[in-house]
Parts: sequence; structure tokens; C-alpha cells
Amino acid sequence: MDRRSFIKLTAVSGTSAALASCGNPENEIIRFVPDEDIMPGIATMKPGVCTLCASGCGLSVRMMMADADVVRNGQAGLVRIHAAKKLEGTAEHPVNHGGLCARGQAAVQVTYHPDRITQPLKRSGDRGQAKYDAISWDDAIAELVSRLDALAMAGNQKSLAFLTRHRRSHRAALVDRFLAAYGAPGAVAYELFHDDVLRRANALSFGREQLPTFDLPNARYVLSFGADFLGTWNSPTSQGHGYGLMRQGRPGIRGLFVQVESRMTQTGANADQWVPVKPGTEGVLALGLAHVIVAGKLRPASGGGRAGALIDGWSSGLGSFAPEQVETITGVAAARVERLARELAELSPSVAIVGGAPLAQSNGLFTALAVNALNSLLGSVERPGGVFFTPQINLASTAKGLSGKATASLPLDKIAAGILDGSSVPQVLLLDGANPVHAAPKGWRVREALEKVPYIVSFGQFLDETAALSDLILPDHSFLETWAEALPESGSLSAVASVAPAAMMPLHQTRGTEDLLLDVGRRLAKPLNLPWENFEALLTESVSALPTTSTFDTWTEAQEKGGWWGTLPAALTTPAAPAAQIRPFAYLEPQFDGDAGQFPLHFLPYASSAFLDGSLAHLPWLQEMPDPLTSAMWSSWIEINPTTAAKLGIRDGDIVEVASSQGTLRTAVIVSPGIAPDLVAMPAGQGHQTFTRYASGRGENPVELLAPVTEAETGSLAWAATRVRVTRVGDPDGRLILFAGGSREEEGHR
Amino acid sequence: MPLVGTVFARLCLILILTLAGGLGCRVFERNVPAPAAAHLLPGQTADVFTTARPTFAAALNDFLGRHPVVVEQPFEFPHLTHAGREIACTEYCHESVSEGPVAGLPSVRTCMSCHRTVATNRPRIRQITQMREEGRDFAWKRVFGYPAQSHVRFNHAPHIRAKVECSTCHGNIASQRTAQRNVDMTMGFCVNCHRERKAPDDCLTCHF
Amino acid sequence: MKWGMAVDLDRCDGCAACVTACHAENNISTVGADQASRGRAKHWIRVERYWEGEFPDVRLKFRPVMCQHCENAPCEPVCPTYASHHTADGLNAQVYNRCIGTRYCANACPYNVRFFDFFNPSWDKPLHLQLNPDVSLREVGVMEKCTFCVQRIKATTIQAKAEDRPVADGEIKPACAQACPAQALVFGDLDDPESAVSRLSRSSRGSKLLEDRGTKPAVTYLSRQS
Repeated sequence: MDRRSFIKLTAVSGTSAALASCGNPENEIIRFVPDEDIMPGIATMKPGVCTLCASGCGLSVRMMMADADVVRNGQAGLVRIHAAKKLEGTAEHPVNHGGLCARGQAAVQVTYHPDRITQPLKRSGDRGQAKYDAISWDDAIAELVSRLDALAMAGNQKSLAFLTRHRRSHRAALVDRFLAAYGAPGAVAYELFHDDVLRRANALSFGREQLPTFDLPNARYVLSFGADFLGTWNSPTSQGHGYGLMRQGRPGIRGLFVQVESRMTQTGANADQWVPVKPGTEGVLALGLAHVIVAGKLRPASGGGRAGALIDGWSSGLGSFAPEQVETITGVAAARVERLARELAELSPSVAIVGGAPLAQSNGLFTALAVNALNSLLGSVERPGGVFFTPQINLASTAKGLSGKATASLPLDKIAAGILDGSSVPQVLLLDGANPVHAAPKGWRVREALEKVPYIVSFGQFLDETAALSDLILPDHSFLETWAEALPESGSLSAVASVAPAAMMPLHQTRGTEDLLLDVGRRLAKPLNLPWENFEALLTESVSALPTTSTFDTWTEAQEKGGWWGTLPAALTTPAAPAAQIRPFAYLEPQFDGDAGQFPLHFLPYASSAFLDGSLAHLPWLQEMPDPLTSAMWSSWIEINPTTAAKLGIRDGDIVEVASSQGTLRTAVIVSPGIAPDLVAMPAGQGHQTFTRYASGRGENPVELLAPVTEAETGSLAWAATRVRVTRVGDPDGRLILFAGGSREEEGHR
Repeated sequence: MPLVGTVFARLCLILILTLAGGLGCRVFERNVPAPAAAHLLPGQTADVFTTARPTFAAALNDFLGRHPVVVEQPFEFPHLTHAGREIACTEYCHESVSEGPVAGLPSVRTCMSCHRTVATNRPRIRQITQMREEGRDFAWKRVFGYPAQSHVRFNHAPHIRAKVECSTCHGNIASQRTAQRNVDMTMGFCVNCHRERKAPDDCLTCHF
Repeated sequence: MKWGMAVDLDRCDGCAACVTACHAENNISTVGADQASRGRAKHWIRVERYWEGEFPDVRLKFRPVMCQHCENAPCEPVCPTYASHHTADGLNAQVYNRCIGTRYCANACPYNVRFFDFFNPSWDKPLHLQLNPDVSLREVGVMEKCTFCVQRIKATTIQAKAEDRPVADGEIKPACAQACPAQALVFGDLDDPESAVSRLSRSSRGSKLLEDRGTKPAVTYLSRQS
């Protein structure tokens, strides 16, 4: 080139480099006037509620000034905002007592996620292509209203379906009220690890359709059947807090802890005794312990009470559960059964916990009922050191407009079946955070079914596999930008309503779904006449009905503390249900999918510490967090027993093909001593086709292998009942990433 | 001759292009993790925040610790006029100086709290009134401070409590229009005063 | 003032809340899958895992490990620029602006708690809005590690001085200690014999990590009792 063009080239590239931003060039900044008065460098703490799982932990949100990029009137610039910087647990909150789990710590990334949906969107490509155009809120709401009006005009209100996650909250109650007023069936809740079997068992045994709360700080002996209660199950932060006190919170007294499971969980690692058991036989072990206790006259059989009466053979001394028979069925040595039973009975107060895989078998309900009967026998129900039920606030009595339940709806698999055979096809489906396309078994054909629904609207903040099928997206605020609340069903001995106002102003053009539903309700051709102007009004009414606990009125105090907790008067409490006339339950052998010849190994998908069921895979801190049991990051893996691995010719890091009757997947192996030889385990959470830049196309989804086996009594998905075969297909290929600490820069990469 | 010219010209080309920042900061960071998804929805961005400087020139200035003494601000605020009206540094505009680390820079809202009614006919007051109406704020350029890689975590509050005058470190801004970097705030400047006044002088006092 | 920590391994249940809390507080950048596979992830505190035995008699023990702020730190004499040195109040300081990235300190550290910034960290916007203004952003070429949340120590001591009172025991909580649901991590002044950390450090269950190396860590581990 000649000199002139050379100079031009460098001039141009130099200028463009000056304007290019890898960081923030000071030259061209435009600033907008801030909407709030903020002092730079000074932190203020605001209350909050973590809504990432159902625990409902109280938050203390650290707020400081930050510079946000915004576009106003077509101009890009910066504006000072009051931004949430760090989430801590609220010290006095009765669920988490100041602590906060890893997922709660990462929750702040939800608000600032680069792939958050920032404004209402309307589908522009084909369904599933995830191509959307921006539309205004007015247009978006008008569209939804017109769809609902059309449905109502045709007398088809029952064709409105609402799909959400399991949560107890004012929001959930408002949704049900909206649906009931409209004339649609109640919301359908779907989550992979949802514990409905345990809720049903507690309803039968104790009249409480809810998850249990454990008074661990006062327990001397804890026996857990498969529950990862310190990691991912039920209310982990509350249970973790209680665990610390159980061990070292009482001078001279150290509680003991036994875990019964086939794969060592993070929780099981902390046990004083770890007892492997054959999958699906945990209920037999529980009754074996009860047998020894009753036979040895350590407790009277009548102590079994209502829960015991539900067990076939209880009143006659559980003859078929003698230690030798228990050994045959469960694989736990008879002598060990005797010893455990004696420890349980003698080290009082003692309590039994059951959750996770044991309940995800075809006989899960029986197992839960057996453990409930054991607890009754031990005298641990509603006694210090035992199992309690968090008093539930009866929303129908605190917010009068919430009375009147929506008609019950079918579970998701039945709904999908109804769509596929054409017998019952919802015309409009509203999606609120559930992701069944990722988290439901292939056999239910959820994706296929949803594709037949003419119109799908999503309120979700992210585009996941299920939301990617939607036609209209009305993105909700993140929990830090709106009223955050939860009505925990467990984790606290006293009643609690977590509620906190927005900690910060919305970052994007999102809108609170609760307010949106109330707005839509007003705009319908036949308005729903719900008695609240907005969600704040509903919360104010409901919380104000709760008794004051200080000199301030309940609502003011709740907003400052981040919730209400205390003693609930009977008038506001959901009462226990009386015993139902029901025949007792007997042990049935667990039914597994896949014959033992072709599929010799039990397959255990488990809730991962980082992602639970996969709904948190989009948070980068959680992707990079080394898994406590394997140190794996950004990866999927399958855990195999060393003896089994050797037999199959598999070494650490090898790639294997895992096959069930439903299909196959390939993933890397981690040889683990803490798993039974006839079991393989894989964490749930990865394998998203679509779920933000951090999770899309990463790893494998174990749900793809799950056969649609259901628990016999409740119809819940028995996600631990699939059998697989594992075959080595290759050497380590670098897909498995481990944080190896000291050897992190050595050859140990896989 | 022609051969040397060609080789020499090519070397110059490569060197100058690099120095001109044509390749920017990325050339020094081969492995900056790039966002995975190219598929962005409306309203989403692929922008990245990084500690890398935007240009090689900026990086060089930071490395050599060069700060301009006179900084041209987007708006010529006269400290002199306001100090003459007996408005203290910390009263309205630099309020957080006794509470926390940062003194703060005023928003146009702060100006308008008085200038809604004061001197409204002056051209510059009309200018800021219009800014306020348009929702635009001052994009002040930093005068005092240190390059990021010096990792100086200066905290105003203890200094104010120790009754250090603003002018000690900032010079006589009250007699100036826009602030200038009047005092050469080298590390020696800070350490000398700390030693004189028996304040801590270990590294971690300021660099953490 | 001599800052130290006590970690009760009987309370710790391996949940890793401390790991994420530390990232959130200290502006530790996420390096991504590719860099993580090259061993460049920076977990200032990590949960170590020790398997014992074989199925079915298998045990697993957790141990959270962070910079031990050793009195006799091996990382300090090897630093050519005094970037790694010991402060009067017992911290092993890492002064980023002195650091020239020789990485001798990481080489010398027997606990492997020092991390090098192999590249300028980046945050996909607007994740950068979460960054803590009280903590430096480290650039390429410097070492970083647990500081016992020195920003919290400084902020609280300055506040206490402003209010003309001493710092109360338990007033300063590093992010890891604050997040821990089981309250397994306790931080405080080892020079105060009545502080919680001092009392725990005197426990018969207490020991130091790699004590025989003579590093004299400021962290005492209380052994698990099972």
C-alpha cells in the first residue's frame, strides 16, 4: 500500500480503538439524572426474601451506589442506581438465623444476569426458534386480555391452564384466586424434586399436608433415610443451622447422626454411621426398627397412634419385620438393625427423617408412612428434639378476598396425556417459572403436548426450554426489584411470613406478575372484581391481620424486619385434618423400570448442590462452584462404584454411554467410593438446550433417561426407579472440569 | 534498498498498528472468556466489563501515573463563586465525605435545589435547567484519584474526623473555577503526613 | 490485635455456602469453563474432601481451607517486592500494586491458597453492577487470595474509632463466616483470651493444618468427632 492509505488506516484504527470499549471510555459518556438520592460509597442494608427455593429465607441486602448502563430516549448513557451488592441472611429470621446457602448467595446474579428478558416480547419466528420482537407493555397486556376475553366469550374458561412451581406464598394464592374468579382450574405445579409423596404421608399420618420441620438443636439422635437435609432437601439452611447446634451447641452434649442411603450425599458424609440400603426398602428398615423397639418393650406399640394405624401389621407387632427378614430385604445386617433400634430408643430425644430417593420409588408413600409411624412410636412428634409442623397461616382468614379455592387441577402428566389424545387441550397456557420440558420425563411427552397448545404466555425472567415455546413473554421483576415473599411450610418452629419490599428499582422494563394479573383482571370484558388495587394492598391486608409482636403495627414492622414471625392465633391457623377412614398400607416391593438383565444398575438422579433441579444452572457462580462431593465445575458426570467400574473396564474420567429404556446419554465418569455397586448416580441440573449463555448446551440431563414410573398411591414421578446399563465408549475428552485445589495445574484434567 | 524498505515498512506497519491500539487491549489477553451465546433477545447486550483499559494510550498513562493537572469538565462549574457565597465543600455537593470513603460529586439535582430560584437568568443556569428537564446529568471527569492498578483505597471519613482540611490535599479549590489537581498527591505526600501525625503507615492501610 | 479463625469441622457440613459468599464479597471473577479446565478458577476458600475406606465402610470428611495467614508464612520471604508480607495485626497482606507476578508465593504456599490472575477478569454486563466497591479489582498479573475480608476489618475498625469504642468480639465477620448456616467459621482477635475464636482455638479438638511445616497458621481446626 502507499503512504497515504497507510496513514489513513492507522488513523481510523486508532480512533476506533479509542472509542471501542473493552472497559468504559471516559470520552463519550452521557449521564442521566438519578431517580433516587444515593450517597456513594455508603452501604445500607435492606430486608429481602430469597425465592430461589421454597425455604423462604430472610435476607439482609447490602445496597450501594453503582453506575448502570441505560438507554433513555434512544441515547445510551450511565445513571447512578442503588444496587444490591451482597445478600446475607437475616440474623433473627426463624428459618435461616443469619445463614445463607450457596444458592442464596448466588441469587443476586439473577437480577444482573446478562440474559435476563428485559421487556415484553412477542414471538416472531416459528415456535421453538426463540425468535422474538419487542413490544410495548400496553400492547402485550392488550394481547393477553384479548386472548382471555375470547376464551371467556366462547364459554371456554376451563381451557385456561396455569403452570407453576411448588411454592406457598401470597402470590400462589393470588394466582389461584385469579383462576377461580376467571373460571379456570387451579394452577398446576410441577417440579422434579417436589416431595408431594411426603406431604401426602404427613396428611395421612398427622393431618398436616406439608413438609416437616426438625428441632435438630435439641435432638440427641437423628436417623435420616436418604434425605439430603444439609444440602438440597426441604429447608437446608434452617437444617444446617440446627445441625451445627445439634453437634456443638450444647456443652457436653453432642447429637449423633445416622444416614441410611445407597449413595453418599453431602449430608450423609457428615454422619457418624453411614448405612447403605437397597433402594426402595427403606420403609422396611424403618419398620424393622419399630419392631425391635416394640418387641424389646422400649416403647409401647400404642405410641404409634394414628400414624401406626396406617401400617399393615402394626397392631399385631409387625411380625414380618423381624431383623432377619429385614436383613434379607434391605441388606442391612440384623445385628445392625437391633443396634440402631436400641440407639434410637435410648438416646432421647431422637427423630427420624425421610426424603429424596426413598420417596421417589413406586412404594414411596409406604416408606414415608413407615417413618412417620416410627417417629410417633419414638414420641418425637411435636416434642422438643423431634418433628414439628410449621404453623401455616390460613390466607383465607387473613385476606378475605383469598377465600374460595380454585377447582383442583390434574397433575402434569395427566394434562399432557389429555392434550396428546385430544380429549382436553388448554387453549391458553400461562407459564410461571416451571420448566417441564427440561425436568419432566420424556415419556410424558411434555414438549410435544405443549406444542399443541395454541397460545402460551410466559412470565419468566429467562428463556429456558419451556419458555422458548411461548408466544408472548411478559417478564417478571427479579425478587430484589419487587415485593418478595414466601410462606415457608417448614424450617421454622413458629409461624412465619417472609415479606419484604423491593430493595432496588427495576433494572429493565419488567413488570411484577402479581400486579399484572390484577391489572388484567380489571381489563377483562367481564372484570374479575378482585378486591386489591395491587399486590402491595393484598400483602398489607394479609400481614396486618397477623398479631403484633412489638410496639409497631404488624405491617410496618414486617417491612423493616423482612417478615412476620411469632405465635399464630388458632383463628388464623390452618388446622390439622382429622384422620381419614383409610385401609392400612402394606409393603410392596419397589418396581423398577428396565429388567435387571438388560439394565443391571439403579439410576439415581439427584438434586445437585449448585443447581437443585436445574433451575439455577444459569447462575455463573454456581456453575463455577466446585461440587462438594466431586469438585466438578461447569460439568456433568456419573458416579460409579470402584468395583463396578473395574468390572466394566472404566477408569476415572472415561466417557460412558448410559442407557435406559427411554434413551441414552454420554457423560464422564467419576469413580466414587461412596456409592453402592449396583447404583450409579448423576446430578440433575445441566443438559439444558436453552437456558442462558452459561447453561445452554452444557453437560447432560439425567431426566432424559427417566422412565415415567410413578409412585403407586400418589401418582408422583418415581424418579429413582429407573434402571440403566453403562458402557465405556472412550477416554477422557476434557469435558469434565475439576477444581483440584493443589493439583489444579497438573495432569489431572479430564 | 527496495528490499530493506519493504521489510522496514512492514515492521513499521505492524508496530504502529499495535501501538495505535488498533488491536486494542485484546491482543494482550488471548483468553478472555467471550460470551457463549450470540443469540441475543431485544434489549440484551453482549457488552463486557473488564479491568482492561479501553486504549493502549490510557494504559500507558496509567502505567506512568500521568494525570492531567487541568481537566476539562463537561460543564464549567465555578467553585470560586460558590465558596464566595460561604457554601462549604461538604454542605451540598460533597456530602458523604464525613460518612464514608467517597466525597461524592453532585448531581444536577443538587444544583437545581438552589438554582430553581437563584440566578435563573444566567446562561449557564439556563443550561443546567434544561439539562434537568431533559433528565441529563453531569458526566464529571475525574480530577483526583489514582489509576486502578495502584489499588489505593482512600477513605475520606477518618481524614475529616482527624480535622484534615480539604485544601491540604485538594489545594485552594475555593479560589478556582473548575477543580484542578493542585497538589501533587504522590504516595510520599500521603506517607509524610501520616508519619507526622502518627497515623498508620503500613501498606494495608491504603492498599488492599 | 491478632486476627485469626477457628473452623469447627464438627459443625461444617460441606455445603459450600462459604465458597460462593467469598466470590460475592470479594469481586472474584468467574473464569468460565475453558479457563477452569486449565486450573485457573479462583476459589479463595474451598471445601476439601477426604475419603476414607471402601464401600460399604466408607467415610467422607470435609475441610474448608482458606489462606491460613501464617505467622511464619512461607509465601512472605520469597516475594521479591514485599507484596506478600505480614501485618502487625496478624494478616498476611497481599498488596496488589507491588505484585509483579513472579508467583513464587503460590509456589511456596503449602496450602495452595494463592491464585494468579492469568488474564484481565471480565464480567458480562450487567453482572458488574454487583461488584463490591470496597474491594479492589485485580488486574492481570497479580496474585490474589483470602484476606480475611480485610475490607470488613478496616471498615469496622474505622467505625469503632469514630465512635470512640473498641471493636466488639464477633462484630467483624468475614463473608464466609457470616454465610455459614452451621456457624462453623468463627473469626476474631486471638490476642483477646476471652474472644470466641480464642476459646475455640484452645479446644482439645483443635489443631493446625500442616502444623509440622512450622508455618504457624492463624486458623485452628476443631476436629470432627466421628
